[in-house]
Amino acid sequence: MNGVSVAEVDRSSVRWRALSRSLRGGLKGAEYTWSLAFVVPYLAVFVTFVAYPVVYGLWMGSEPSLYRELFRDPIYERTVVNTVLYLALGVNVKMFLALLLSGFFMRPGRWTKVMLLIFVLPWAVPQISTFISIHWMLNGEWGFLNNALYKLFHIEGPSWLNDRWTALGAVIVSHIWKWTPFWTLILLAGRMAIPLEIRDTARVDGATGVRGFVHITFPLLANLYLICTLLSTIFLLGDFNAVYFVSGGGPANSTHVLATLGIRDAFDIAQPRLGVAAVMSALPLVIPLVIVLMRKLRTTEVQL
Amino acid sequence: MAHLTRRSVLRGSAALGAAQALGFPHVAKAAATTATMWFSQGFVQDEDVALRKAVADYEKASGNKIELSVIPFAPERQKIISAITSGVVPDIVDSNPGEILQLYGWQDKWVDVSDVVESQKGQFSETALQAAQAYNSVIKKREFYGVPLRAAVVPCHIWRSLVEKAGLKIEDIPKTWDAYFDFFKKVQDNLRKQGERKVYGLGFQVTALGVDPYNLFMAFLVAYGGQDIVTKDGKLHLDDPKVKQAATKAVAYIGGAYKDGYVPPSAINWNDADDNNAFHAKLMVMDVDGTLSTEVAVKEKHPEWYYKEIVTHGVPGYPNDNAGKPVPSIVGYTNGLIPKGAKNVAVAKEFLKYFIQPKVIGEFVELGLGRWLPVMPSLAKSPFWQNPKDPHLKGYVQQGLLGPTIPDYYVFNPAMAEVRNQQVWSVAMIDVAKEGMKPEAAVEKALKRMQEMFAKYPIG
Repeated sequence: MNGVSVAEVDRSSVRWRALSRSLRGGLKGAEYTWSLAFVVPYLAVFVTFVAYPVVYGLWMGSEPSLYRELFRDPIYERTVVNTVLYLALGVNVKMFLALLLSGFFMRPGRWTKVMLLIFVLPWAVPQISTFISIHWMLNGEWGFLNNALYKLFHIEGPSWLNDRWTALGAVIVSHIWKWTPFWTLILLAGRMAIPLEIRDTARVDGATGVRGFVHITFPLLANLYLICTLLSTIFLLGDFNAVYFVSGGGPANSTHVLATLGIRDAFDIAQPRLGVAAVMSALPLVIPLVIVLMRKLRTTEVQL
Repeated sequence: MAHLTRRSVLRGSAALGAAQALGFPHVAKAAATTATMWFSQGFVQDEDVALRKAVADYEKASGNKIELSVIPFAPERQKIISAITSGVVPDIVDSNPGEILQLYGWQDKWVDVSDVVESQKGQFSETALQAAQAYNSVIKKREFYGVPLRAAVVPCHIWRSLVEKAGLKIEDIPKTWDAYFDFFKKVQDNLRKQGERKVYGLGFQVTALGVDPYNLFMAFLVAYGGQDIVTKDGKLHLDDPKVKQAATKAVAYIGGAYKDGYVPPSAINWNDADDNNAFHAKLMVMDVDGTLSTEVAVKEKHPEWYYKEIVTHGVPGYPNDNAGKPVPSIVGYTNGLIPKGAKNVAVAKEFLKYFIQPKVIGEFVELGLGRWLPVMPSLAKSPFWQNPKDPHLKGYVQQGLLGPTIPDYYVFNPAMAEVRNQQVWSVAMIDVAKEGMKPEAAVEKALKRMQEMFAKYPIG
């Protein structure tokens, strides 16, 4: 006897059958084969385009020595500060403006609609060309802004992109300008979804203007606002274009954010693993955000 | 309509799989005479036309096929790095950026192309041959991993009209280093007195973007006697007082010129082509910038600029050092490379052997309007480079091919590529120019960073 008893073999085969039944979900024969045939393509797409890139990225950035090298880089700390500022100001100012503007665009009238059409233009035009235009506009010597200042008021404007704070400010303002229309439309849709009866009843009870906004509109929009803010934060964390094309990460690498630092490390310095590590170092912020977002989406599925 | 059953689906899938499997020999056969090649797009269209002509001529002569992708500079660089990282590589790439040869040579990622180089070894300049080699840390040897195709140096580009407007002449420009650059400060001062509020004397790229600031700093370092910062054996010599003194003087001169208002303020955030644009906008009197892209870019649209207004200073006329001795020019090379894992090494090597024949490679460089230099001294004698009617080419080829030259320092140790790409010296120049740091302190900071980088690339 090889040491395995008949009872053990039986138990193992029973367990296997139970597992197999549970995996089949009660399907038998041809039904099971067809279900597999339908699931496999989706599974293949998921593995190829979702699971594989994520796992490959995690693998590339898995060596602790990469993080030691990253933290030794004199510009990393400044980059983290820039990223936090970019997120905090970029997301919150933009979302607050979008909230206010969505209220404005709820006003009836043809002109409001025309203005809405004009207002969404920055979002509709390709972002790279607009960010490059902003870069040129802000050039200290021959940029449009300083030339206009000089022609109109005889003021010598500063070199906007030569100082860390004005350059970072330019990046943040560019981002807000570009993306406020999009989030305004989302919040406008949210406002429009508030049933008319609720608004009418509130109006009858005297909740108009600011009071109506504070007591009726905002509470009903709060969940949508929070979800939009979380989504925008996740999007912005991976945003590369505004920084790359407006300030180029300069002057002297002082306005990099993690996304541009990752690209710089991966391709300018030809160390792709270090680039992945730079981006991965944002995971402690991204993961809680995704968890909160998922929980919010679950708990608010029947709310506005 | 046929009735679809489970068996028919399975049969169909099996048949499809079999057909695909049987189809493979045909693809494999096609691959036997086909090589894929990536090459960076030129600044002027003529460069791409010249490349396509060379490829088409090879295809006609050999019967092989080269699947050529001409890709803009930055995306190609990213594509190459991604390809080498993933292992799915083309058969030939150009060394974009130049240092990729040494960086990935260190990691044993290139195919040895000694046999290709050997076919024309006697033709190449000594500097080109040095720059085609890389130290392989796996086999602990230097080997030929690159096939020299073209070269570039950093000349000075000057607006004759602005110099003359300032009441001076091109012939007045002194020949020694500091006096040479000081001259343009005087030009600016004179122009300002005439009410020109936005013209600067010097186009120094005091920026931390692109390769220009490193080239500028290294030109000054060599001119001030710091040539031995890294020696041919790959060793770093930071304790050499001459090196430290030269680095301090270089940082002080460039940073000081910016601080004193002789460099356009926006130079601190310039990227690759920004200095060319600023020069064409006559924002500065002179620019220190690699290749003849500044001149070639305006040749068709503004021939009067090309032939009369813009002056290129190479050797002779590129300033000598402060003692009056010639300063060797640092030459950057584009090499042809074959990544390890390439499917068709034989065709790749055959194409490169064809491409570096003096007639072919010479024509390739000349058809590209001479933005790039040839890598073989014999080619400098051609009527194209010696054309007496062209005010730029003769001096340029003299500076980069016939005069004293050295390869870039990453050739000796790839750590220098990291020094360049992490903008160590740019930060030092900016520390002085903008942050008010003393040159000595900025240099100490940079040298410490260099030491950290060199520790990762021990040679010998």
